[in-house]
Amino acid sequence: MNNLTCDIGYKSINHVGEQLCGDHVEVVEQEDGSTVIVLADGLGSGVKASILSTLTSKIISTMLAAGLSIEECVETIAATLPVCSVRGVAYSTFTIIRIIRNQTAELIQYDNPQVIVLRNGENWEYPRTETTIGGKKIIRSLIRLQEDDVFIAMSDGCPHAGIGNAYNFGWKREDIIPFMEAMTLCGYTAKNLSTLLVDECNKLYGGEPGDDTTACVVRIRKRVPMNMLFGPPSNRDDAGRMMSLFFSKEGKHIICGGTTSSIAAKWLNKPLRASLDFEGDIPPIAFLEGVDLVTEGVITVNRVVEYARDYIGENKRYEAWNDGKDGASQISRLLFEEATDINFYVGKAVNPAHQNPDLPINFNIKMNLVQELSEALKKMGKRIKVSYF
Amino acid sequence: MKVTVCIGSSCHIKGSRPVVEQLQELIAKENLGDRIELGGTFCMGKCQQGVCVTVDGEFFSVSTETVSSFFEKEIKARV
Repeated sequence: MNNLTCDIGYKSINHVGEQLCGDHVEVVEQEDGSTVIVLADGLGSGVKASILSTLTSKIISTMLAAGLSIEECVETIAATLPVCSVRGVAYSTFTIIRIIRNQTAELIQYDNPQVIVLRNGENWEYPRTETTIGGKKIIRSLIRLQEDDVFIAMSDGCPHAGIGNAYNFGWKREDIIPFMEAMTLCGYTAKNLSTLLVDECNKLYGGEPGDDTTACVVRIRKRVPMNMLFGPPSNRDDAGRMMSLFFSKEGKHIICGGTTSSIAAKWLNKPLRASLDFEGDIPPIAFLEGVDLVTEGVITVNRVVEYARDYIGENKRYEAWNDGKDGASQISRLLFEEATDINFYVGKAVNPAHQNPDLPINFNIKMNLVQELSEALKKMGKRIKVSYF
Repeated sequence: MKVTVCIGSSCHIKGSRPVVEQLQELIAKENLGDRIELGGTFCMGKCQQGVCVTVDGEFFSVSTETVSSFFEKEIKARV
């Protein structure tokens, strides 16, 4: 194992008028530290396509994760997929990206637009070999991973974007490449990169996609640890222990909460300076030497949880936290974009001022916030450790 | 003169933002910017009495309704 990790994100939009997506992305992590990502595009659109692509991606990811060969997967799919009554075929195209121990990527592609690989920010036409399995032409590649490699898998809804509308022949792969090259330079997460690509396709379709459109991005990156302190310890005598554990950890340090940051300031013996710059409806941040970010507690973290919920779902609010200067946006950028391993130090002290039924904050809400935030961050593929004091 | 307003969770909900904005406005109107240092702080431990404000260390409980009379009596009169 090395100190690399993969950041995986995807987004789909549906064919105009359809409630179900005919594309499906499945991510399965194996016990040996490998990850199998399958993007399947079912024939047609709507329910039928959705069933085909879901079955295809589930079957492939489960079988590969169990150690079976790609030949067996393809044969199984050909033998089990329901046959379309209109066209008389059972058909779903697929792209498999298998990241093996964060060292090697294996690409197996069948009839989807070919995966774009960006290395050092530039397009790289990786070596490919062609094999035929059960009459299907499969393209396989084995790639030794480097830090900052970006893999972009798409369904054909992406290159078809804008056909007859913005472009004669759609948004070709050659044109998508420079668009994504520019985007990867900005340090966006995999989820945001896939969102940017799909949103652009949606624009080219004039907001009425002529096909289900999906992008799945895998970014290879270094592990980045981060630490967040939230709330004073239930027993004030534990403050020293909590602080020394928190500050001894590698990586950036975030402190949320007024009382909490006062305790940290006392422990560090440095002045805590609160700013009066109100940004939106989130309380201002503060500055403390030795701490990367100091914010107010419950209100700020509540907003971060809202952003996190949106991010793992439809990802409609990323522009708000990508540019915002308020505490919640800053925490979101640090946790969602920068960090891969996050240690939470949560104090369980009850703030008497918060136990007022007129106020929308109380102790249970605080504990739920931590729970919900760590769940959401896990779904983003991050390693989370929570310690209570 | 140093005026400090709490911007912690409790006082934020009780309206520290409008209090700060009104104070900034009043200070600018009276042209006292060079004599009053307006600052923020986190929790003063008196959340029940928020919005918490101190004037040279002396504690006051201020609300959005009382901010202008507070300014007249405790700040302008003392400068």
